[in-house]
Amino acid sequence: MALHVESVAKTLGDFSLRDISFDVKTGEYFVILGPTGAGKTIVLETIAGIHAPDTGRICWDGEDITRSEPRARNIGVVYQDYMLFPHLTVEDNIGFGLRQWRIERSTIHTSVEEIANLLDIRNLLPRFPGTLSGGEQQRVALARALILKPRVLLLDEPMNALDTATRERMRKELSRIHRLTGTTVIQITHHFEDVFMLADRIAIMKNGTIVQVGEPSEVFWHPIDTFVAEFLGIGNLIKGVARRSGSLTKITAEGKVTILAASETEGPVVATLHAEDVIVSKAPFTSSARNCLPGTVIDLVPSRSTIKIIIDVGFPLVALLTRESCRELGISQNSNVYATFKASAVHVIPVNGE
Amino acid sequence: MRRFSLSLAFFIFLVILIVLIRLIIYPPLPALATSLASPEIRFAIVLSLVTSTVSTAICVALAIPASYALARYNFPLKKLVNLVLTIPLALPPLVAGIALLIFFGTTAWGKALDSLGFAVVFTPLGIVVAEVFVNLPYMIRILKSSYAAINPRYENVAKTLGCTDTGAFLQVTLPLARPGLIAGTTITWAKSMGEFGAVLMLAGATTMRTETLPIALYLNLSTGDLDLAVAASVILILISLAALFVVEHFSDEAHVF
Repeated sequence: MALHVESVAKTLGDFSLRDISFDVKTGEYFVILGPTGAGKTIVLETIAGIHAPDTGRICWDGEDITRSEPRARNIGVVYQDYMLFPHLTVEDNIGFGLRQWRIERSTIHTSVEEIANLLDIRNLLPRFPGTLSGGEQQRVALARALILKPRVLLLDEPMNALDTATRERMRKELSRIHRLTGTTVIQITHHFEDVFMLADRIAIMKNGTIVQVGEPSEVFWHPIDTFVAEFLGIGNLIKGVARRSGSLTKITAEGKVTILAASETEGPVVATLHAEDVIVSKAPFTSSARNCLPGTVIDLVPSRSTIKIIIDVGFPLVALLTRESCRELGISQNSNVYATFKASAVHVIPVNGE
Repeated sequence: MRRFSLSLAFFIFLVILIVLIRLIIYPPLPALATSLASPEIRFAIVLSLVTSTVSTAICVALAIPASYALARYNFPLKKLVNLVLTIPLALPPLVAGIALLIFFGTTAWGKALDSLGFAVVFTPLGIVVAEVFVNLPYMIRILKSSYAAINPRYENVAKTLGCTDTGAFLQVTLPLARPGLIAGTTITWAKSMGEFGAVLMLAGATTMRTETLPIALYLNLSTGDLDLAVAASVILILISLAALFVVEHFSDEAHVF
């Protein structure tokens, strides 16, 4: 265990962090996900030592660093708007950290060239930050932090300010840097897409507190509440009442429709079902899947290569089809179809007074 | 509308230009040169330069840290402190001057300073004190808005890279505030060169002792020596123009007002 954050609370003006606890292992790529305003940046800044927590503690390898100064922590920060010092050249920006530790000029120069080669920005060294593109500035900011060989690298929405193409390249770049340097990384983002390729584990934040921590697949398949499910963009959230039925749970949803779920929960629930787990057919679909609901197509929403189909089965159910299979099936508005999905694809979240 | 507003703007432009030029060409050129070379005006030039430079240096030294506190930190009574710091901006300099005169002339504080050899009332030292008192709020205001426009995250990054708080300020924030610092210094210096009311009250108007350029203008005008008065004002006009030029040059980057 490398970084240990325990019950950290911090109030800044109108905003407050409450009971922030999580652990990050050495070498891990940890992603904190949450909507804008959840307090993700404040968490990063508290880890970096910019804000002192009101209560709680932060440890590194068992050593309490809650009260130590930012410069004593050796934790690197890259902000989403990079914060390159505009009055210094790229070379002086990257060498800034080493200069603080009174390292010889020639040694600094060598280190700067080394890290600049690694990030492929050697030709930028004599330029000023104001003349660089977003992607270039980001790599300079990464170099400035990485040159000190930080034990943790904190990335604040690193993809946010980049266009789609650059974003894709940057994601690969971050993955490469992480592999190459073995640095522990904590990244914050509100983009779920950023996570799957990079993250070893994720934490979900909401209103200044962490609601769920786990491996991406674990959080994705078993969201702890409707907020997480909605935030992760899971297609279907079905409200209903659950009752045991043999080894399964029978959920009575709106319109008296019942669906079966592999769960033991009872009482008022929200069931989640990923749109891609719903099979659409014109005739009843015989398979081991326990749920097969007849319905009418009310809407088709095309996005890039897929079409989102909204089927009225008593409540609106969202399914995802490729354009091709949609055409083959001949599905259009008002088509009568069957929606089939496995009981194990339905995840049940108990609702307690929400 | 276009024609009306344009001609009005042009009219105002002409009035200002004519009034100033008429002043400069009032004495014949040789007379102006003689006046500028007279011992009294030369004394006034030197005294003005010295006192303005010293008072500006004091303003800069005090404003650099003080305005940083106002821009970055939250503290009790911050609003009140801000308000009080703004009062001298709105106060007629004469009133500021008489307040200073009462403070240094009648309180134990002033007398203690006097007995220590720092006589303020009716001395050249008083000129510096009056100029600092009147101009420091300008300097603080300009620098404060300069700092406020600099994202504090620059300092955060600098600290994670190994800077102390002071180091981050000196290596990052202060260099980034440079345009505001230059503009503020220039305005403070130019205002000190022209300061009259507060100086008159606290330092008095003693020929060849507390006679700055504006005081020289006033003294010579009251004794009817127009040539000397005009000579003093010509120099003041040149100083204003130079200051204006410097401020205009940096005002794109500096948030002056």
